[in-house]
Amino acid sequence: MTGVFLNTDQKRGLIGSTLLAILILLIVGAYALWGESYQARILYATFVNLIVVIGLQTFMGNGNYATFSHAAFMGIAAYAAAICVTPAAMKAVSLPDAPWGLNAFEMHPISAAFVALAITGAIGALTGLFMSRLTNVSITIVSIAILVIVHSIFLHRTDIFKGNQALFGIPRVFGLGHVTALVILAIVAARLFRESRLGLRLRAVADDEVGARAMGVNVVRARLVAWIVSTLFFATAGIAYAFYLGTISARPFYFNYVFLTVAMLILGGLRSVTGAVFGTLLISLGLEIIRWLETGPTLVGVKLPEMLGLSGLLLGIVIVGVMAFRPHGLMGNREIEDLVFRRRKTMETSK
Amino acid sequence: MIPGACQSLNGGSRSVLEINGLKVYHGPIEAVHGIDLAVAEGTCVALLGPNGAGKTSTLSAITGTARATGTIRLAGRDLGALDIEDRFRAGISIAPEGRRIFSNLSVFENLRMGAATRTDGDVTGDIEDWLTRFPILGERRGQSAGTLSGGEQQMLTIARALLSRPRILLLDEPSLGLAPKIIGQVFDLIEDLRRDGMTILLVEQNAGAAIEVADHVYVMVNGLVTRQGPAREFGDGSGLMDELTGVHG
Amino acid sequence: MDYAIQQLLNALSFGAEYALIAVGLAIVFSIMGLVNFAHGEVIAFGGYSMAVVGTILTGNPLVLMAGVLIACVAVSLLLERVAFRTVRNADITTGLLTAFGVSIILQNLYLLLGSPRPISATQFIFLDRTLMLGPIHVSSLQIYETVTTIAAILFLTLFLKRSHLGIAMRAASRDFQMVRLCGIRANRVVATAFAISGLLAGLACIFIMARRGSVTPHMGFDPVLTAFIACVLGGFGSLPGAVLGGFILGFLEVGVLVLLPQTAGGLAQAAVFLVVALLLFWRPDGILTPAAEKGDKL
Repeated sequence: MTGVFLNTDQKRGLIGSTLLAILILLIVGAYALWGESYQARILYATFVNLIVVIGLQTFMGNGNYATFSHAAFMGIAAYAAAICVTPAAMKAVSLPDAPWGLNAFEMHPISAAFVALAITGAIGALTGLFMSRLTNVSITIVSIAILVIVHSIFLHRTDIFKGNQALFGIPRVFGLGHVTALVILAIVAARLFRESRLGLRLRAVADDEVGARAMGVNVVRARLVAWIVSTLFFATAGIAYAFYLGTISARPFYFNYVFLTVAMLILGGLRSVTGAVFGTLLISLGLEIIRWLETGPTLVGVKLPEMLGLSGLLLGIVIVGVMAFRPHGLMGNREIEDLVFRRRKTMETSK
Repeated sequence: MIPGACQSLNGGSRSVLEINGLKVYHGPIEAVHGIDLAVAEGTCVALLGPNGAGKTSTLSAITGTARATGTIRLAGRDLGALDIEDRFRAGISIAPEGRRIFSNLSVFENLRMGAATRTDGDVTGDIEDWLTRFPILGERRGQSAGTLSGGEQQMLTIARALLSRPRILLLDEPSLGLAPKIIGQVFDLIEDLRRDGMTILLVEQNAGAAIEVADHVYVMVNGLVTRQGPAREFGDGSGLMDELTGVHG
Repeated sequence: MDYAIQQLLNALSFGAEYALIAVGLAIVFSIMGLVNFAHGEVIAFGGYSMAVVGTILTGNPLVLMAGVLIACVAVSLLLERVAFRTVRNADITTGLLTAFGVSIILQNLYLLLGSPRPISATQFIFLDRTLMLGPIHVSSLQIYETVTTIAAILFLTLFLKRSHLGIAMRAASRDFQMVRLCGIRANRVVATAFAISGLLAGLACIFIMARRGSVTPHMGFDPVLTAFIACVLGGFGSLPGAVLGGFILGFLEVGVLVLLPQTAGGLAQAAVFLVVALLLFWRPDGILTPAAEKGDKL
């Protein structure tokens, strides 16, 4: 059945997503065999980041825009899901002053997730009306404005969001298995979107806006759809975040998280989903090493000083270095199956 | 070979500009496939050919705005290692395709830009000379250059290119998009410049008019020079036009 | 009456600060298409230089002011040379992300070498006194700020209209390559743009330091963000647009603070940005879009 709806590029995309899914499963398998329990949390966080970075790729990568509002959408979804799913009895304690009866109901986690997706998607559509009409630079600046607006609302309405304090008591309904399934789903969806007609149009616009317009591509609509799709990825990540940690606060949904995820995408390469995956995995691994250094560990008997800001410094260096020497990141325009197929082709010619 | 001693192909006088084995690239595409060309001191050489023949690419290679291989010499000096600014300072000035006047600057400021590298004191006097020569520019000296008509912009771009007192003037399609009467004025100006001893490399699609002002003619098709010779051998250019359209169609 | 004039002066001085910063952003953008996210860190660098010089050398405010200006110009030129030259001809997104990376690097360097907590440097606080103009109380700092900004903008306009290099910079905002084809060195034009941008950042830094009396790694962030919004509102790359946008933002901010109930003070910035978003829905390309349509170059 699916064959009827998919074009040939999308079929290639399915092959590529399968390869990436195998990679993800191998990592989870390695953890199951040899990992220690504290690493589950790191792996979970990596996968949540991966969903965000893949979501970024759908708008930033296909359209070649830089946007920084994703942490805001992730936060919106995390709070929405958390408020819906937390039992009323718990909310009487954690959100005693919440207006509009927000602390008087509770939902099944799945319904809560759908409500969170719907709210985030609706806000995505609303902001998309602006974003899709703006030009390159303005898209970036306005996306930052969105991040700042949402963050200041989180901080200001402490009766709903608790601001920088923790909103606690969220049922921890997700585990590593759930997020693994979501990551694989995200990879497949992003690849299908990238190879769809709309994704292709968006990439055509990124290469040559005037030309693509002349060919009859409706730039505004293509941008709008991609923007909404990407907010749904961020929402998924936000829900997964809230459902695993059990407590959330406004602080993580701000600039530091934006730096991190943008660096991940840039390292791998904006233009490919495989790049998003590789970049996320590499930086997550690198950060674990740096975090350990930052705490001032004892290395070969020498106590290193505490180095606050080292991880940020290195993220910045990764961004600047990649932009200067390899502006299209590790993967450029290539996807994983391109690597595999090319190898096969050279093997054939060498015979 | 002694620099500067190379003989040009046309007439034996000293070459100001000499090009050998020039290949020009636009990204991965090779637009010019190895051409030789020489412009003798005080002459006007016309480079003719249909759209996409590689004429503008050749000029871009000379000014340093396109990637190229082969040698380009100005009065015997190899320009290969020089960037755009230094080639201009060496004496190569262009009135480019599409005129590219600075539309947000006034007429006077556009002319000042042309003379920006000069250190002698006569700049203002020279600018005034040009403003007298083209009274319409003189009347609008303070106006934004974007408000000028196509023909006026063409005069402005040529004047701007000449204010640096270059060794050679490159003219790219000066008649493009102009009314016949204005085209006549542009070619009158080129004729005047040649008579004053200016060395000119003129790229044109308007073969007839170009041959009339030129001493020597090169014809380019598909990135190669297919024919060259003294201008008189080309008659009024009508045969050439047929040849070119024949090649094209 | 007293209250109205005070608020007017508030709006003018806020607007002046945003305009100073916004023009610094716009002048670099208009010439090389770079969205300079590291501008806020240039301002913070000025603050740190002041703290360092003020501690080890001299507390003389005039020397420190000169020091701040020199430091901001120097670091701005250094960033151009080290980081932005490699991406000069790259597309806007590449340049933007590079600047974003540079901004992160500098912020974290300040964290590593300085401190996440404010470092005090109070030598400029004397600028901020309460003056009595007849019956009206006004802040001297706000007057200095407004007057300095207007003077800086006038000088800049004069420079751009009269000097060779200024004319070349205006020309470069339309057709940089043609400027090079007139023999004017690209590096000189770009360096001048960064120097002017740094100088304006230095001026803004002096006023910010006079108000805060301390420096933090993120002190440049909020004003630069607002200045970016001002640029977008005015039309990105347009210098008059940057000035106009800066003052509109100043008035909006004061207007919002006056109109919003006290309890909603934390939402002032959000409210301002929301109003700007609505303005942009009306004019997506800003109010004074530079007329650099693609057909203009033909």
